[in-house]
Amino acid sequence: MITGVGLGKSYGEQRVFGDLDFHIEAGERVALLGLNGAGKTTLFRCLLALTDFEGELRVAGETVTPGRKEVRRRIGYVPQQAPLYDMTLTEFVAFFSALRGVAMDGPASTLAALGMPLEETGGKALNELSGGMVQKALLGLALGSGSSVLLLDEPTANLDPGARRDLFRRVREIAAETTLLFASHRLDEIELLADRVLVLHGGGLAFDGTLEELWRATDAAPRLWLSAPPHEVERVAAELRECPAVSDLRANGAGVEVDVRGDASLDLLLEVRQRGLPVTEFRTRPPSLEHVLDQLERHGDGSPAPVDASTADGGGS
Amino acid sequence: MTARLLAQAGVRESVRAYWFWLNAGIFVAGGLLLMLFGQVDVSLLGYRSYGRALAGLMQLALFVVPLMALLSSGAAIAGARETGALDYLLAQPVTREEVFAGKWLGVTAAVVASLVVGYGATGAVAAVKGVPALPIAMLLLFTVVLAAAFVSIGLWVSALSSTRGRATSVVFTLWLAFLALGSLGLMAAFVRWGLPAGVLQIWSLVNPVEAFRLAMIALLEADPGLLGPAGAALIDNLGRTGLIAAASGSLAAWTALAYWAGRRAFTSAT
Repeated sequence: MITGVGLGKSYGEQRVFGDLDFHIEAGERVALLGLNGAGKTTLFRCLLALTDFEGELRVAGETVTPGRKEVRRRIGYVPQQAPLYDMTLTEFVAFFSALRGVAMDGPASTLAALGMPLEETGGKALNELSGGMVQKALLGLALGSGSSVLLLDEPTANLDPGARRDLFRRVREIAAETTLLFASHRLDEIELLADRVLVLHGGGLAFDGTLEELWRATDAAPRLWLSAPPHEVERVAAELRECPAVSDLRANGAGVEVDVRGDASLDLLLEVRQRGLPVTEFRTRPPSLEHVLDQLERHGDGSPAPVDASTADGGGS
Repeated sequence: MTARLLAQAGVRESVRAYWFWLNAGIFVAGGLLLMLFGQVDVSLLGYRSYGRALAGLMQLALFVVPLMALLSSGAAIAGARETGALDYLLAQPVTREEVFAGKWLGVTAAVVASLVVGYGATGAVAAVKGVPALPIAMLLLFTVVLAAAFVSIGLWVSALSSTRGRATSVVFTLWLAFLALGSLGLMAAFVRWGLPAGVLQIWSLVNPVEAFRLAMIALLEADPGLLGPAGAALIDNLGRTGLIAAASGSLAAWTALAYWAGRRAFTSAT
């Protein structure tokens, strides 16, 4: 569905990335992970034929030619920054449906499925809607206009955690058949949505594989968050420090975040039970992005090197 | 099709903007005042009997229309770039050429609409007062051409500007420069540096504000003394029709060349 061969991009003297080779199958949900400035948005601009590039790109059977608009009919795009238009939601949907050459019914019914029927919210000005609602409107337009590929460029960057979870839940429900490529620098988002991860780092593709493979390739076990009553947090932290499964931990007023050695999460939970620690809730948290990228860099000679998940851990992607 | 959709959206957006109603209001108020109180004996000014009111309208257009056209077109691309609207628009199946054409059509149509509202009210009063419709129609036509030229110039600036604020400051400076380098500014330069008369005449035609003024005075068949020395020399050399044609050509050239340069700047950005 999306294929890049030898893809490279520079702005003048500044090299953004080079020699990217990747392929995304139809219906796959792929996260594009990288720090700010890694080139995620630039890669999207290449896919949308908005900028020139080196190498070859194909999207949904179309060869991407910079400046040509054809490929954009197949791509729905949700940007990080919600665009400000002096229009009502209905006018906005009507205008962009017409630009995409589709009837308004498709986006309107997708918006209804997203919990924003135009009959109720269509009369509101775009700038009166919350950030989450605008992002849903863009999502409704992208999915309702028959796009086979959906590009999400850090769409939740300006949303609160609740709105972020809600948006991703909707994406999972509605875009089940759509090929999805979404940029993020948040590992918790990736866990929610991605089948596979591409890590863009140091001007190259530093990893291509599943999330599990990424954890294994980078020795990055998920962290555990254990909630405890405020007056018990110190005691819980002190007892956990003695557990062999714990490599490090950090406590705050609401609980303890634990870095677990290897696959010892279950051992740790059993130990919590045996010790009778007053833990009220536990959750897994992904490792930090900085840790993952640091580990990816160490796989080579200190410089970022492409890591193939199939050779890194014996698995495949 | 795409450019038309973009133009319609541009007109809708403009009609909601304050400047649209400000522009129309100035022309309605100014035009009505001039028609009601300006149509007196005008032999002193050298215009025909209805000419004083029309000359007033022309002066009004000379100051207001370039500024309105520049401010609205200057914001059209740079403003959209600043709010993320342009990036989102360009991610749709549209080309940069279509977007530029749509912006030009949208802003021009909105400016023309505000002029038609203003001149329409003036024309209605003028008709009641027995003023022939043709001069007013000609004034409207030339004002539209003047507006189109300045919309092109403003969009060119907008395509090159990263923010709305920067575009606005540049177009405002341009507006002042075009006005300052009109007949009085040129006369001062002529006297100060002893410029050849030919340069003065050519500059009078190259400056779109001055070209509009000369064309309108020639159209209104006013006293050639009102043309100023450069205009008087031009009418001597080219004749009345030739002067109108040359001034029209200048405005059309500004429209086309600034459009071309702006489109080139906009489409070459990657």
